Amino acid sequence: MNPVAANEAQFNIEMSESGLVHLRWLPGVHVQVDDARGAMAQVNEVCQQEQHPMLVDMAAVGSVSREARAIWSIPCSASRIALLGESSVDRVLANFFLGVHIPPCPTRFFTSRSEALDWLGAGAGAGAGA
Amino acid sequence: MTPSENRDDIDAVITGINLLAEELEHINSDLEGRVADRTAMLRRTQAELERMAKTDALTGLANRTLLNERIQEAILAGAECGKNPAVLVLDLDSFKAINDTLGHGAGDSVLVEVAKRLRSVVRAGDTVARLGGDEFAVVITGATEQEVLHIAHRASEQLQDSVRVGTETVWAMASIGVCIGTTGAPAEALMRDADIAMYHAKSKGRNNVQLFHPDMLGVIRERSRITTELRKAVPAGELALQYQPVVELDSGLLIGVEALLRWHHPVRGIVMPDSFIRIAEETGLILDLGRWVLHESVAQMGRWNQIAPDLADFRLHINLSAAELLRGDLLDDIRDTLDRNNVAASRLALEITETVLMSKGAAEEEVLRRLRDLGVGLQIDDFGTGYSSISYLRSLPADTAKVDRSLIQDMGSDPKRQKFVAAILQLISSAGLKAIVEGIETVEQAGQLQAMGCRYGQGYFFGRPMPPAEMLELLRNPTHRQ
Repeated sequence: MNPVAANEAQFNIEMSESGLVHLRWLPGVHVQVDDARGAMAQVNEVCQQEQHPMLVDMAAVGSVSREARAIWSIPCSASRIALLGESSVDRVLANFFLGVHIPPCPTRFFTSRSEALDWLGAGAGAGAGA
Repeated sequence: MTPSENRDDIDAVITGINLLAEELEHINSDLEGRVADRTAMLRRTQAELERMAKTDALTGLANRTLLNERIQEAILAGAECGKNPAVLVLDLDSFKAINDTLGHGAGDSVLVEVAKRLRSVVRAGDTVARLGGDEFAVVITGATEQEVLHIAHRASEQLQDSVRVGTETVWAMASIGVCIGTTGAPAEALMRDADIAMYHAKSKGRNNVQLFHPDMLGVIRERSRITTELRKAVPAGELALQYQPVVELDSGLLIGVEALLRWHHPVRGIVMPDSFIRIAEETGLILDLGRWVLHESVAQMGRWNQIAPDLADFRLHINLSAAELLRGDLLDDIRDTLDRNNVAASRLALEITETVLMSKGAAEEEVLRRLRDLGVGLQIDDFGTGYSSISYLRSLPADTAKVDRSLIQDMGSDPKRQKFVAAILQLISSAGLKAIVEGIETVEQAGQLQAMGCRYGQGYFFGRPMPPAEMLELLRNPTHRQ
């Protein structure tokens, strides 16, 4: 499936044939509330009112504003979310979101893509893997 | 602090600290917002509580606390502009009767309507307050004496119109006292003097406006003194009864005696009823006095019967006030007193003024009906001083009308007056009542009344009020002056 057009090139979204939604934030991006809103809107559009597991590539994201984090607490079409990062900074950002805000569905942080995909697949009806 | 591009552990710590700082700032800001909201709410609540503490819940008018504040403010303002404030005190006349006959719900509706009318006559800067019960007050600022009196009279006029309560129509007129402040006079003095003027208005027949004058203070003090002394008069044995004969004009036969109250004051000597009966009615002391008169006069009747069992039948006439009609134990008291003294109910007649009978409510009507059922006679006293119509006369539960003495004054030399009296006697007869004319002082008056068909009379011509022993002699010689 082709990537969906990005919102001012801050992210892109694609849906795999297995039904996995892949949201990729571009490195260095400072995610604001409008970016978060735009991303979630497009996730919902891609999912067409069906629930799908979602892999969020957040490695090297510069920062995420509080308001943007709050948007991610709103229920969306993701059935479970794997946050994929690389560094300790990514881990801090993810854990802060998980600790302070309440995710709308089961959400975990991973530094291994395969582990992330396995976990998404374990809970997805549509299968895992990109 | 900004994390580096290395995104190493130190950067992670920096990121974490920044996130925490941002979160804390948010929490702090949120907390400050909530504290501000809560403080604003508390301030609003406090303002509302203060307003409620100074407002009469029923009418929404200022209460006594706020009234006093406004008077104080007005006094200060008056000192600067040279116009002292004025205070009006208004007391509704006959409000108790509304509560008693229609219930407190109706009474409350009347108070709300009165409040509305008072608000409509004052200016924007004036304050209308309810002091409690059926008493109101107004503070008028920056006005001349003329303007103040104009407002007072407008208030009185507004209260002349009837008030509709459900299907009933009632009237809530007021006695109004006015006091214009003088420089340096404190708020308490303004209120006190307006109150004194209001009582003066009451004593002047109610439903009028009186401007305070220092002379009124003397009247109030005298009234207070009389009240205190009168309260002690019954237990101290200072009261006495005298009796005045009622005669049949044709035969001169004595057919009744009216019991008249006298007060043997230890210092002032004999005090006539005119000096204290009104005060007794206003203070409620009339109930004690009335009770004493009933017991003593009926007991006297019993003693006369014992001393002279062969006395011809005659009736004892006792005056009954409006307040006594509503006395809960009146019927039982009359019945027990008659029984105790072996006096038949038909030997007792109660005199009730025309004004009281005309304004009677449902409660009073019931009492009168039960008195008639008991066999006690009912007489309309001071007839001719009210506004009775023929149809109304016929509906009153009375057997006799006592024509007021004022109607026969100057009758001897005034043909028009004679015709008028004749018409009154005819009116009474048409209503099926007997007539007793009071105040007969000369043989000419007696003769003229007899010629008009009047059958019964009372007055100095037949005998002044006298002590019981003297009356007994008269009763023993029943044929009186013809």
